[in-house]
Amino acid sequence: MKAQNRTIAILVILTLIMLSVAYILPIYVVVVTSLKSTPELAERRYLFPSTDLQFKNYAEALRLVFPSLVNSSIITFTVTALSALIGGLGGFYLSRFRSLFSRVLFVLVGIALYLPYQVILIPLVQIMARTGLALTHFGLIASYMILNVPLASVLMGTFFMAIPRELEEAAEVDGASRVQIFFRVITPIALPAYASTAIIIFTQVWNEFLLALTLSTPRTTTIQVKLAEVKGSFVAVYNMQMAAALMALLIPLVFFLALGQYFIRGILAGALKG
Amino acid sequence: MATSSKAELNRIPKPRLRQKKRGRLTLVEFLVFVLPLLVFLLLLYGMLGWTFVVSFSDWQGTAPSYGFAGLKWYQLMFTLPRFQADVVNNLRWLVLGVIPTVVIALFIAYLLELGTIPGVETYVRTLILYPVAMSFIVTGTIWSWMYQPQRGVFNTILRGLGLGFLEGRYTTDPSNATYWLVIIFIWQYLGFSVIILQSSFRTTELQEMIEAAIVDGASRLRILIQVIVPNIRGGILILVSLLLISSLKVFDIVYIVTFGGPGFASDVLAFYMFIATFQQHLVALGAGIGVIIFALAFIIVIPYTIYAFRNWFE
Repeated sequence: MKAQNRTIAILVILTLIMLSVAYILPIYVVVVTSLKSTPELAERRYLFPSTDLQFKNYAEALRLVFPSLVNSSIITFTVTALSALIGGLGGFYLSRFRSLFSRVLFVLVGIALYLPYQVILIPLVQIMARTGLALTHFGLIASYMILNVPLASVLMGTFFMAIPRELEEAAEVDGASRVQIFFRVITPIALPAYASTAIIIFTQVWNEFLLALTLSTPRTTTIQVKLAEVKGSFVAVYNMQMAAALMALLIPLVFFLALGQYFIRGILAGALKG
Repeated sequence: MATSSKAELNRIPKPRLRQKKRGRLTLVEFLVFVLPLLVFLLLLYGMLGWTFVVSFSDWQGTAPSYGFAGLKWYQLMFTLPRFQADVVNNLRWLVLGVIPTVVIALFIAYLLELGTIPGVETYVRTLILYPVAMSFIVTGTIWSWMYQPQRGVFNTILRGLGLGFLEGRYTTDPSNATYWLVIIFIWQYLGFSVIILQSSFRTTELQEMIEAAIVDGASRLRILIQVIVPNIRGGILILVSLLLISSLKVFDIVYIVTFGGPGFASDVLAFYMFIATFQQHLVALGAGIGVIIFALAFIIVIPYTIYAFRNWFE
């Protein structure tokens, strides 16, 4: 038994070292490089931090990506709020009603959850172009809503399943309707669930690329599209590329670090019952 | 509605028990709970049907045309060398994006579960989970630079260590490009996978079985293979399905790191669909590739949906 524990301890330490290198090295090199001047970059001493930190790289990168950060924020916050709201309503239905219709709806939602975006891309571009919605933020907002409302419904439904029915039954005895029960009884206790759902949707929409690439116009360019553009136009200017990548990463990363537990709960809700 | 519901709640409760059937839906309930979701679902499935129609049309160029062309573009598709190369690459993604990720994640999750060093779990979780917050575009931008043969991080470090002979061509090597892309995917999804597996470890039944096995003197490895793995089949099914779908849909990594190249060595269906539709303007062909991707995704999702359905309506 003792020998075995020792083997495990060694294994744990080896794994820790390997994982640390694999996951710290990239982010370390990115941060260090994003603060280097271009001549310093050319020395290619990637592992060594600069002696003269170039914070102006961040100012320069921010100037480049700022409009797209604003676009992404408008689109992502709107989609997140509306999807969580509608997902809450739909999720309540899926978790509380048992009928043939609710079963059919669940299957439709389940398939929609993992629909490859490619399979709706052509009609979506047609609709957005013909209605002129593509020229405004509303085009991307509507598109992301179509794709994220099913996900939000399943996430919220999973959380609602875990809420004991006694509360609702008590309210029902008091003569409250189901709509009242939802808004008065369920919603207040489900706020953490809304937080989890919101953070998952937020990350998903903020990081989405294919739709943003095909549907965004110069006035609605999202941060991911902009970053791809920066990578293409600043060839080998890695300090700028990395500074811009950090800008694109910043908001979701802050959410992740601040609300990690909600994030994990959201991932599990999306995976285990959905 | 807000004011009326307030009035309702303030009313003295009547001892009248309305036994509603669980399935029955009033009009108001339908309008509030179901309709918004239904509208979005109908839009989604409407567009799905629309894509099917386009795939049987003869639409080329930017102006839509819906004249029926039968299986013309599907027949052409299967003869295209690029399509065939994509199918092979997609298979590589499906196998290599999933199996190594699950095995490594299982190993890490188990080590964390053994929990020999205090605090290790929080550290590892944060360490490997942060990529979940990153987009493939961010990850891809970073990894393109790491892989760059002349100025890239990996080759530069290897040279610096005097290990120049280990230098690689990474994604610029046509025969291996896809594999290097898959590594990025595994890196990104490892933390996610560990989280899902860990949560399926944590059922009381399984914990009791593990304890019993320890008392019986079974080795840790045997416990993993003979006790844990058979008992977390549900968790593994979910994880495998999610990873299969994600690796089937992969577009961003290919776009940002190699743009399908060199040539179309690292191309995949999801990327070709985009190129065919928006660069070659063979919209019918693009729609057809979309339908193929959907069909594959559908096959992958079926067992998962059945499992989820049973869980939900048990």
